[in-house]
Amino acid sequence: MTAFEAVYDGFHRLVYGIAFKMLGDATAAEDLAQSVFLKVWSSPEAFGGGNFSAWIARVTRNRALDVLRSRATRPETEMPADIPLDGSLDETVFARLDGQRVRSALAGLPEEQRTPIELGFFGGMTHDEIARSSDVPLGTVKTRIRAGLKRLRITLEGSVV
Amino acid sequence: MTTVHDESRFDSIAVLAIGALPPAEARELEAHIAECDLCRREYDELRGAVDALALSAEVTPEQFGGAQCERLRSRVMDAVRASATPAAAKVVPLARRAPSQWLPYFATAAALALAIYSTWNLTTLRTENDVNQRQVALLQARLDAQERASNEARAQLALEESRLADLIAPGAARFAVRDGVIVRTGGRILIALRHLPALPKGKTYQAWTLRRGAKTVAPSITFAPDPTGLALVELPESAANIAAVAVSVEPDGGSKQPTSKPNFVRPLS
Repeated sequence: MTAFEAVYDGFHRLVYGIAFKMLGDATAAEDLAQSVFLKVWSSPEAFGGGNFSAWIARVTRNRALDVLRSRATRPETEMPADIPLDGSLDETVFARLDGQRVRSALAGLPEEQRTPIELGFFGGMTHDEIARSSDVPLGTVKTRIRAGLKRLRITLEGSVV
Repeated sequence: MTTVHDESRFDSIAVLAIGALPPAEARELEAHIAECDLCRREYDELRGAVDALALSAEVTPEQFGGAQCERLRSRVMDAVRASATPAAAKVVPLARRAPSQWLPYFATAAALALAIYSTWNLTTLRTENDVNQRQVALLQARLDAQERASNEARAQLALEESRLADLIAPGAARFAVRDGVIVRTGGRILIALRHLPALPKGKTYQAWTLRRGAKTVAPSITFAPDPTGLALVELPESAANIAAVAVSVEPDGGSKQPTSKPNFVRPLS
């Protein structure tokens, strides 16, 4: 099991971190992390290539969203399927990113852009819910999310050059 | 296909990228992106930033370390070791396995090994030989797991045989239910059911027990039938003071109270 242990040791802080940030509960985060790694162990073929950390992060986030939805007793809504990416952040750029760099880049965004991005991505809220919770028109929320993501990408690419 | 777009379309793509678009809108936009080069480029560009966004949640050793970190590691490794299922009993013994059956494992091992290689940026490991060693290690891990699964399947089979013996034991009390029987023997309760339909993803069968004098049922074990529709389940509760047993279909993981009409409710008298 040495190989699996190596995978675990390389990614458990990311998996647990996403789970904890989204669920806000250490016990629930540990449960979710366990289920993610069991998935990796039992169905490694589910990883179809590309960047492994991005993939395992998506798996973790999707499972956390399921938990959030069940807590809210909202009807189960199927997650949009991931669209295969032709290009993303350059692989070498992505490989050199770490949590600290991304946190720093995120902190550099104006709050009006950072907040809706975090509410949508980590909070599992829809754009309507974000607009209502922040009392901002829907169109403005969407524009800010896009502007924030573009700025984040530029900052991240610059941070590792 | 590429068409002219207004900015609001690109804004919606950004919302889709962070997963905040309601499902119906998401499906519609995904269908468009699949056909539109311009939108696909926009999506790809933003999605890269979103993937990176997840990294911001990574905890540091100071935030997640020590006993808590060790506990989670032990839990995961224990769960992996215990992840063998009864289906593993059908695993062909390793010596008889045809080489072609291992191809998926080679492919998987290669994919994971390459992912580890690219992500960790371990410059000292950037040789073909090291990648091969990782592939071999992953393959060996799967082989070890298969062997453990085989051993555990044998133990599971012995347990099933013991339960079958209980089913036909003289002196056991039997209570017929639709397509099956409940057996009370030696302080234990067994449920044997056949023709159970396979359930959709996210659903499971769950047993319930009613204690004498109780007004509500208590949740018991969840279970799934085998591919032939057969289920043989031993309830974890002692048979003492159990007045009735029921089975219903519940969400995965089970419920605290029944959420669907029971398949049956059977008094044990």
